[in-house]
Amino acid sequence: MGNIFPRWTNLLAIKVLLCAGALGTCVIAVAWYSWTPKYTRVGYMPQQPIPFDHSLHAGQLGMDCRYCHSFVEDSLHSNVPTAQVCWNCHGPGKVKSDSPKLEPLRQAMDENSENYTGKPIEWVQIHKVPDYAYFNHSVHVNRGVSCVECHGKVNEMPVVFHAEPMSMSWCLDCHRNPEKALRPLDQITNLDWTPDDLDQDDFYSYVSAQTGKSAEDLKKGDEGKEWGQDLIGSHLQMAWDVHPPQDCAACHR
Amino acid sequence: MRWFFLILAIAVVATVYAIGPRGVKFSDPPFELFPDMDHQYRVNPQKPSGFFEDGQGSRKPIEGTVPVGFELPHAGNEADLTSDLDFSRGDSYFDTGLFGDFYGSGYPETLELDAAFLARGKQRFQITCTPCHGNSGNGAGVVSKYWAIPPSANLIDARVSAMPEGQIFWTITHGKGLMGPYNGVLSVNDRWAIVAYVKSLQAAAGN
Ligand code: HEC
Ligand code: HEC
Ligand code: HEC
Ligand code: HEC
Ligand code: HEC
Ligand code: HEC
Repeated sequence: MGNIFPRWTNLLAIKVLLCAGALGTCVIAVAWYSWTPKYTRVGYMPQQPIPFDHSLHAGQLGMDCRYCHSFVEDSLHSNVPTAQVCWNCHGPGKVKSDSPKLEPLRQAMDENSENYTGKPIEWVQIHKVPDYAYFNHSVHVNRGVSCVECHGKVNEMPVVFHAEPMSMSWCLDCHRNPEKALRPLDQITNLDWTPDDLDQDDFYSYVSAQTGKSAEDLKKGDEGKEWGQDLIGSHLQMAWDVHPPQDCAACHR
Repeated sequence: MRWFFLILAIAVVATVYAIGPRGVKFSDPPFELFPDMDHQYRVNPQKPSGFFEDGQGSRKPIEGTVPVGFELPHAGNEADLTSDLDFSRGDSYFDTGLFGDFYGSGYPETLELDAAFLARGKQRFQITCTPCHGNSGNGAGVVSKYWAIPPSANLIDARVSAMPEGQIFWTITHGKGLMGPYNGVLSVNDRWAIVAYVKSLQAAAGN
């Protein structure tokens, strides 16, 4: 009886393993890279009914976010403005009132317009936490977390897009190290704020008023440390006693 | 073997090309891997709902009913005709800025006029009024130069300074001429706080 297995089969098992390994690695690499919110969500920029431009309104005209998103400090939901808010500036005899881009606004508001429906403008929602997770804007905004930490530099976006992954690990990254995000409460809607804009003496006297420690002691404790986000954040975290929750029931209630 | 790796290489290049890098802009709704309970049968704020005929999730009170915490508008008061419910709880001076048919002056007694109240007014003024009326209220806001009809909106001149508090409150609530109403974005308390801040700006300007 001759050899049943020809010579080439000697390496077959190794070759198959090698191929399967290579294929598996590639599949995992691709999935790793693209089956995560960092890939599936970041960059989501839907077509809106009106090409509303944040870089013009919030950036160039300097309007505060709360002019339109008016209840972000009071409510878990950050509201998209009603058509009335736009109408106050874009109504007849005002700014660009007959721009073709504003047709959906006239349909919603202008009773003399031929296409008047009186229905709200259907803005497309971009950021969305799944319905099983609880998210609250007012807790974050009133604790010194700025819009820019979660939405990116909206004031420079001609069209808003999904800038952060908003996955669970992303939420927790900040909940573990909130000092990287905290800033004075009056700068929440100032997306261009940097720690250098803050007057050091004002800051120390504010923290000392909150914590009851004297400003001199605080300053001495910080000698040799660099003035920056970490320093400001850790003081504010102490002063406001910020402890973001990490237990499941806080967000999955 | 060689063929396998050649095909794999082509497949990898094709996939990488197809999926592209992270963060590229796209306009289709994001892909959901396990959409198990992402979309539940409930109405989220400001979202549509197929349950109602008009498709709107946010409901207006049914005609003839009054939501808990609000008061029935009293018939015969002209302000009520324009006011719907207006975040208002009735027709007291606090809610309307009016005594009967006249603008009232002074602040409602329920308000505590302290530094925090004025600070709140300043903050809200700078958010809501500054784009048109300018930071000092002189009517030179950034937006005013874009208006087709140049608006007359100097809040610190003698004419507006002579207005009673109730009239400014009423203007914020219902608008006036070219100015639209701001009752939808400002609570009644905040409106009074803004009135107080406007009065302080007028005083600072010597009117
Ligand atoms: C003039 C009114 C106005 C101002 C001022 C404004 N926004 Fe908006 N914003 C809108 C409208 C209208 C939409 C919905 C349309 C869109 O997404 O472009 C929106 C959408 C958004 C969204 C996306 C919402 C979603 O669906 O997920 C974010 C985030 C946002 N705004 C943040 C901001 C921030 C931060 C500021 C302050 C720098 C700001 N906005 C100022 C009117 C405004
Ligand atoms: C405080 C006043 C103000 C408000 C409120 C406001 N806008 Fe504007 N808008 C402006 C100004 C000023 C311009 C710039 C006009 C110009 O460039 O001549 C503008 C320009 C625009 C344009 C570009 C028009 C064109 O033809 O180029 C669009 C679209 C627009 N706004 C949509 C909106 C929408 C939608 C809202 C409501 C969420 C809104 N705006 C609220 C002041 C306002
Ligand atoms: C801690 C992170 C965080 C901060 C800070 C934050 N947001 Fe959001 N925002 C979110 C998340 C998460 C959502 C999605 C919420 C949902 O699904 O209801 C969202 C949604 C929104 C929406 C869309 C709401 C809708 O239903 O269409 C707007 C508008 C918005 N944010 C504006 C703002 C503004 C303005 C600020 C600053 C004052 C701000 N956000 C600060 C995380 C944040
Ligand atoms: C940039 C930082 C940051 C991010 C991102 C962030 N959080 Fe928070 N979160 C905070 C801070 C700060 C607090 C306030 C803690 C406190 O008050 O002690 C907080 C508090 C909370 C609370 C507690 C609310 C309450 O009622 O006590 C919940 C729930 C929460 N966050 C959910 C989320 C979810 C869900 C996400 C992701 C979509 C998220 N957070 C993303 C910083 C963040
Ligand atoms: C800071 C808020 C927060 C906390 C704390 C938290 N989660 Fe989540 N969780 C989220 C958010 C937001 C999502 C949705 C993520 C997304 O859409 O990508 C989520 C998603 C999930 C999912 C579904 C994942 C999927 O893709 O289907 C599971 C399971 C889960 N969480 C379990 C837990 C468990 C177990 C804990 C406690 C150890 C926990 N979570 C704590 C915010 C939180
Ligand atoms: C969209 C631009 C705009 C905004 C925002 C705005 N106003 Fe006005 N306001 C006007 C214009 C335009 C007039 C002139 C109205 C006229 O005479 O036709 C005016 C007039 C007024 C007057 C004088 C009314 C009269 O009887 O002559 C007062 C008082 C006033 N505004 C207060 C406010 C306050 C307080 C706010 C902030 C809550 C505010 N306005 C926000 C545009 C605006």
